[in-house]
Amino acid sequence: MSYFRITLVRSAIGLPRRTTDVLKALGLKKRMATVFHAVSPSVAGQIMKVKELVEVREVERRLTKQEVHLERKPDPGYYVEKVGRSEFDESRRV
Amino acid sequence: MFKPTSPLLSGLLWKIPWRLSAPQKARQRKRLRSVDKVIDTVTAALYKKGFTAKAVEQWNHEMPREEEMLPKDKYTIFDRKEKKYRKGIHKLPKWTRVSQRVNPPGF
Repeated sequence: MSYFRITLVRSAIGLPRRTTDVLKALGLKKRMATVFHAVSPSVAGQIMKVKELVEVREVERRLTKQEVHLERKPDPGYYVEKVGRSEFDESRRV
Repeated sequence: MFKPTSPLLSGLLWKIPWRLSAPQKARQRKRLRSVDKVIDTVTAALYKKGFTAKAVEQWNHEMPREEEMLPKDKYTIFDRKEKKYRKGIHKLPKWTRVSQRVNPPGF
């Protein structure tokens, strides 16, 4: 099963009403929003209507909203150390 | 200091340059390529599944790709009221978000 990963990169402000409606039908409400749709002719037709506004990739799997968010999340630059005791217990368990 | 320029002397007067600048042209090419990329992705995905979509077929049949287009068609657009029948593509409303690739043959 393959999917279209569609990201809205340009807004449809000031464009014809139909364009906004197509974006709404695809589930794209604001810029940089990402949606996944199974590859099908009808979705392809919808993408064609808004081809100037979106970026499309073909992916194998539908990502959750959380996973899409984590892709964009920068490295925090730190990590939290575990308490000595719990680390000791973990090493014992293995 | 008062500079007697046309916009200051006569209120609302927009000065739209008659041609695109080099960076504007570069960005225009980038946008054309990004549309090509979307079309390629969609075509490839449909082909793998054995589907066809009319809109995609028609586009691939009729529209030139960015590298096949003449500079004339990339940066200018046909206009019957214009001298030599051409004006800058930036005069087209919403020109950064609409596809305008082909012009009447012979013009």
